[in-house]
Amino acid sequence: MSGRRVLVVAITVAALLAGVGASLALGTIDVPLREVIDSLLGRAEEGPAKQIILQLRLPRTVDAILVGAALGVAGALLQGALGNPLASPDVIGVTAGSGFGAILILLAFPGSIALLPVGALVFGLTAATLVFVVAWIGPDGGGAGRLILAGIAIAALFAAGTTGLMTAYPDRVQSAVFFLAGGLVSDGWDEMKVVWPYFAVGFVLAVSLIRPLDRLALGDDVAASLGTRPRLIRLGAGGAAALLAAASAAIAGLLGFLGLVVPHVIRMAGGTASHGFVVPVSAIGGAALLLAGDTLARTVKPPLELPVGPFMVVIGVPMFLWLLRKAV
Amino acid sequence: MSRAATRAACLAFVLLAAALAAPATADAPKRIVALTPFSANTLAALGVKPIAIGQTLGGDANFAPSLRRVRTLALAHPNGPNMEQLASLRPGLVLSSPTWTRGNRTMRNLDMRVEVPEPLTVLDMYERIEDIAAMVDRERGGRRLVARIKREISRATRALKSRPRVMLVLGVGRTPYVFLPNSWGGYIMQLAGARLVDANAESRSGFARISDEAIVDADPDVIIGVPHARAEDLDGIRDYMRSNEIWKLTQAGQENRIYVWGDDALLQANLDVGSTISRVRTRFLKNR
Repeated sequence: MSGRRVLVVAITVAALLAGVGASLALGTIDVPLREVIDSLLGRAEEGPAKQIILQLRLPRTVDAILVGAALGVAGALLQGALGNPLASPDVIGVTAGSGFGAILILLAFPGSIALLPVGALVFGLTAATLVFVVAWIGPDGGGAGRLILAGIAIAALFAAGTTGLMTAYPDRVQSAVFFLAGGLVSDGWDEMKVVWPYFAVGFVLAVSLIRPLDRLALGDDVAASLGTRPRLIRLGAGGAAALLAAASAAIAGLLGFLGLVVPHVIRMAGGTASHGFVVPVSAIGGAALLLAGDTLARTVKPPLELPVGPFMVVIGVPMFLWLLRKAV
Repeated sequence: MSRAATRAACLAFVLLAAALAAPATADAPKRIVALTPFSANTLAALGVKPIAIGQTLGGDANFAPSLRRVRTLALAHPNGPNMEQLASLRPGLVLSSPTWTRGNRTMRNLDMRVEVPEPLTVLDMYERIEDIAAMVDRERGGRRLVARIKREISRATRALKSRPRVMLVLGVGRTPYVFLPNSWGGYIMQLAGARLVDANAESRSGFARISDEAIVDADPDVIIGVPHARAEDLDGIRDYMRSNEIWKLTQAGQENRIYVWGDDALLQANLDVGSTISRVRTRFLKNR
């Protein structure tokens, strides 16, 4: 690995560690660092401080790490599989589908709020499945162009459904704004218990796709001559990205920006498009970015906790534009 | 009986009498957080001071004077209160709202006792008051409070001279919603003698989106606008309601009977039902 890539890995790992530290140590209530450490090591006495660290901040930190990593990986997989720099979970309809599922629960069944992650997951995966089915059937199915166009159409369908729900239940729309803007919530481990298997399968699939995606980057014909099946790789990458993005939406709402930008930043900073580098480092970078954004979102105007989406954009866009300018 | 035995009997009698006279507060929660104006004001009326009360972001809820110095927790979606802030208060009981369903689940996960005694209409308010009174071991006070409110309502609803057709319009920004009979304000309006005009809308939430055209078509005798917005935006919405050219096409507009309500007494549950009914009748329905 070149010195530049080692430096990028070192910086992202350092950012991740700093993010974890900040996420655990900072919040509305001042908890002395000593008590934070004691709580994590199981040495703290029972009380509010221990409860805040172990039942509120720790699950939220883990949520941020997993969601950030998942979206970074999902973006890297899709950009690699579709050969399109604009690819992100939005493109395969997952974001719109998850949004519809969550808004359906929030607005039509507010008494069943526990079903929110299930709704986001089910409809996110349904949208992705529809996209794949539409893109794969008929002659010349499975091409990147068809997949993207099918994704745009299905996403529009679910977005229209979401708008319809918001029109039907206008008095409850306020409760959905936080989800649509994207944000983590201090609510313990409940949602993670529902979605962790989807993260696990998505990450395992992503790791198994690293080499095939590198071959696919050489072009479909070359990849096929090397024994790789381009359509199958695209399907696998799309499936993994759908699992990761739907599980992320179930926990943190709609944070499409992260999946789009982080892989680009990593690719430009590392000076390589190798998936062996881009996929894992996007995971670390995505986690670090979401941790930073979330810590800002809940400490900038305490006790209010603001949606994290805009904060990630504030942090990520200048970095992205700076790298883009250098790359050009 | 010996002197010692007499003393012992007297002592036992005094101890027994003291035990019976003292309020049975052993199981009553000491640290109560009331996240809604209704629960906070009910506690205040029962002589119980919560350690914190909730106030929605940009909200301007009316609280009893005895709650003025009580700590306020800002409430915002999706959880309601900030969970770290709430946990740091170590509440023994949280009186919450169905609006914060997600937050209520988190509070329970944090081992807090959470109750949601929020009435939708005046009809279930009495039961909710008695529920809260039972939670804080003030059953007698609860019964007295219910009786007082019933008396006030009875006084306020006497001698209805007319029953005008009234449309109660909630203005969320410039978007109108009609109050339905199953809303807090809609029910109060009927107690005040209004025939509530709801343009045949239905909604379990008690409010339904309505167009200005539907308001003109319903042609009420009286329109009462209730602005719902951040405190700094209220004046603008009041002006918009008063000067709405389309509403002026109705009977209410023709007879200069378009009014704007000033506080949250028609929007959310509160204990001053009798005085609210009196204000509605005197200022707007003119049916005394």
